[in-house]
Amino acid sequence: MTNKRIMITTLLLLVALTVSACGGGGGATSNQGSEGSSGSKDAEKTLRFATWDTGDSLKVQQDIAKLFEKQHPGVKVQIEPYADGFDQKLAASFGAGNPPDVMLMWDFPTYYTNLEPLDSFMSKDESLKLDDIYESLFNYVKVDGQTYGLPSGFTTRALYYNKKMFDDAGVPYPKDGWTWDDFKAAAKKLSNPAKKQYGFGIRTSNDPYDLQGIVWSNGGSFVSADGKEIEGQMNSPETAQAIQQFGDMLKDGSAALVGGKNQMSGDDVFKAGKIAMWESGVWPLEGFKTAKVDFGTVEMPVFPGKPVKGIVALSAISVAKQSKQKDLAWEFTKFFVSNEVIKMRSNSDLPIRKSLVQELKFDQNPLYVPFYNMLERSDNTPSFLLNSNWKLVNRYLTTAIDSVMLGENAQDALNAAVKDAKKYMDKK
Amino acid sequence: MYNQRIQMIFHRLLAPRRSLRLKLVILFLIASLLPLITLGVLSFTKSSELLQDQLGKYGSNAVTQLQYQLDSELSQMELVAEYVHAYLLNPSRIAIHREIPRSYSDLHEQSDLEDFLKALKTVKQRGLFIITKSGYFYGENSIKTTTLKEQAWWKAMPADYAGEYWPGFYTPRHYKEYSEKEKVLGLVVPIRNQQGALKDSRILIEMNADKMYELFHLFEKNTQAMLTIKNSEGQLIYQSAQAYTPQENDVVWSKSLTLNDWTLEARLPYKSFFQSSNIIRSYTGVGLLFSGLLALLLGFLFSSRVTGRIKRLKESMFLAGKGRLQTRIPVQDRDELGVLAHSFNRMIGQIQDLVEEITVTEKLKKEAELRAFHYQINPHLLFNTLNSIQWKARLQGNEDIRKMLYHLAMLLEGNLDITQELVTLRKELEIIDHFLHIQRIRYEHEVNYEQIVDDALMKYVIPRMSLQPLLENIFFHAFEDGCGTIRVSIEEEGEDLVLRLEDNGKGMTEENKQKLLQGTYRSKRGRGLGVNNVDQKFKLHFGPLYGLDIQSVVGQGTVITIRWPKKEEDEHDNQSTH
Repeated sequence: MTNKRIMITTLLLLVALTVSACGGGGGATSNQGSEGSSGSKDAEKTLRFATWDTGDSLKVQQDIAKLFEKQHPGVKVQIEPYADGFDQKLAASFGAGNPPDVMLMWDFPTYYTNLEPLDSFMSKDESLKLDDIYESLFNYVKVDGQTYGLPSGFTTRALYYNKKMFDDAGVPYPKDGWTWDDFKAAAKKLSNPAKKQYGFGIRTSNDPYDLQGIVWSNGGSFVSADGKEIEGQMNSPETAQAIQQFGDMLKDGSAALVGGKNQMSGDDVFKAGKIAMWESGVWPLEGFKTAKVDFGTVEMPVFPGKPVKGIVALSAISVAKQSKQKDLAWEFTKFFVSNEVIKMRSNSDLPIRKSLVQELKFDQNPLYVPFYNMLERSDNTPSFLLNSNWKLVNRYLTTAIDSVMLGENAQDALNAAVKDAKKYMDKK
Repeated sequence: MYNQRIQMIFHRLLAPRRSLRLKLVILFLIASLLPLITLGVLSFTKSSELLQDQLGKYGSNAVTQLQYQLDSELSQMELVAEYVHAYLLNPSRIAIHREIPRSYSDLHEQSDLEDFLKALKTVKQRGLFIITKSGYFYGENSIKTTTLKEQAWWKAMPADYAGEYWPGFYTPRHYKEYSEKEKVLGLVVPIRNQQGALKDSRILIEMNADKMYELFHLFEKNTQAMLTIKNSEGQLIYQSAQAYTPQENDVVWSKSLTLNDWTLEARLPYKSFFQSSNIIRSYTGVGLLFSGLLALLLGFLFSSRVTGRIKRLKESMFLAGKGRLQTRIPVQDRDELGVLAHSFNRMIGQIQDLVEEITVTEKLKKEAELRAFHYQINPHLLFNTLNSIQWKARLQGNEDIRKMLYHLAMLLEGNLDITQELVTLRKELEIIDHFLHIQRIRYEHEVNYEQIVDDALMKYVIPRMSLQPLLENIFFHAFEDGCGTIRVSIEEEGEDLVLRLEDNGKGMTEENKQKLLQGTYRSKRGRGLGVNNVDQKFKLHFGPLYGLDIQSVVGQGTVITIRWPKKEEDEHDNQSTH
């Protein structure tokens, strides 16, 4: 009996050995595919979120996504960083009918047909605390009275000045309510072309959008209030004057062109102490601090007898109309404009909530106060919100403004631009 | 002690005949390893052959894939460059009048050109620029041409270079924002416009090479091969990060790009190429080793059971051989060994019985011999007395009595010599002669005796005193008056001898014949055992097939036939009986 058992066991073992010895070769190549497939147990919901941010701000958004995932178990936030190709990729995804659920947004006139109106969500949701958000920001997220996004961050534009350069030149620091003449005089005093040092830095290529505040401050505009007419608006004397003054400053050597081809960016030139004043949003503020520049901020100068006007650069968050999980998308949208998240993003965008501004004491911080003051003056509607063809018009306007900075007469250049761009104005 | 043991094991290994167990183990090993080795070697050679074939094809395919990828990348760049070039060379479209634009219209032209360049930009493109001799450029404001002009790959391009210039892969240090790890693939095309603002300008296209590098690295990882890309001048365009000096026996896959003169070369060290085969080999080896050990173990265990029993059998036999007949083997299984043990036990039992029997017989025999020795004194006395009587008869001149006494003495001597069981025919026939002499003198008339025996047959043996009783029988029963003819003839019949003893006496009935043969015949004179005794003697000596046969007709005579095998006198045989 035992003998038999031993023999059988032996045979079985030998067979097993032989089989395994043969099989060893083939087994190695068989399961390569298994690596790639992940998350086959798809109880998890994935929320796609598209952003234009890169670098450090993208990292902040990854942290935000992780926080949201933590608070909402079973949800995965998939960040799609479109970066420079934001418009291109977003338009493509809408066209393909496969857009991200949630996305950063500013160009509402272009995309609003693809976005979910949020009014019903907003009215239902008390936790949103709409009153806490600066009302003027909602101008930028509405098309035809419908709200297509929630403001998530913003900046207005103010003037940075290098205190050391002012001290060296014996020029008093600028104050809110100072005039453009004061500004030009100071710039003149702060300039020393021999040392390649200038009072003000002017971008070689300006976005007309950014200059709107200054144009409005002079009583000018790029387009009529109904958005239908540029003749007499874009080339009005007030508009031309507001732009011409920069061309003049470049001519008389009190300002320098920055950020052109083979040139340093204005931020870098300011950091290097080669320009005493620099007009920008809140974005470079942290960088200047890090670079240990002794600087201050001040509201934009006034044209005598005219109110100062500001322009808001807004980032908002929107939900795609084609999203299949709008409630979840709304959850994320709401989360994205909560104090918690805004605080995380406050390095690159100004907080949109009054409570948070108070909490962070931005309303008492002299570096931030001018930006909030400018917000109060930002009640004009930017031209791109008034005319859906503005992108086409803008090309000519940009060229005209650029040529002014290179020596062209502002009135002539703007006239030419109006003449060229007019053809796009009848199609609204 | 230890050395001795080792020597013993060594000796056993050299001469495995000594141990059944070793033989069994070796048999086990062979039985398990031989098919495994065959199978292993077969599967190893076959699978490694297949693997190498596949790896070879895979490598070659992978290189082709890379070549195709690179080609398509390059051709895409070339296409864009050609497109820009054609746009710039079209006199109806050429818009750039001044190298650096100043006026609204100049700027407009520039922005048109830049929009055109922008429109050609794809996601994979790092940048697309037209760079003038002075360093001004058209395209996105993302580069610094001052830095660009310091780049070695830019400077390496001759000033009068015509056609496409492929600087290969490099870090785009001329960008305002770049990382040292970043790699781009560049193409520079000098504009063939010798007049106007774009004289001596170059088109620069740069593609993100990260994906390409990923492909290269993936290729390197998957094939373990070293990848090098060289241009026609032998300059390195790309080389695997891993340091490697090419060897003679490397497996090399090489492809040339169709678009430009670059060559892709993937080098796989010979060792790596055969790595997978080696893995199979080692697995097979381990499998063999394991099964060898298993076979060894099992052979050992299994054989120890079998050989243990055989050993016990052997020891028992040895003991029995030494005379310890009470040895018995316990029977456990009913297999062959069990049967063997059982048979051994039975045999040894029988031997034990026989030995006991023989002991008893020997004892009896000894007694008989002693008795015979005792009786032997009497024949001597008889001979001596007969001799004395013979001498007395000679002295007295009674020749007849002397002769009778002589023949009787001779007859008695033959009869009484019990030392020889088998005697030659010659001797037996001599004794018969003596007997016949006595009978002739006794009856005083002739008895016709005829002897037909070839002298060559005289050397063969016959049981002692086997003819005399038969002749005596004839004299006392067949010839009532003592007259008649007796004939003895011996013939060869193959391996046997046949003796015929004929007489022309009164014959006998069938009943008497049977009685005679069975030894139950009793005559008035109380004899008759002779014939049966003779028959028994032959049968005892030569076996039951041989012996005596009687044919007889009443009133006409009897023929007695004896058949026995030819056998010569054996000195040794006779000696042993002494």
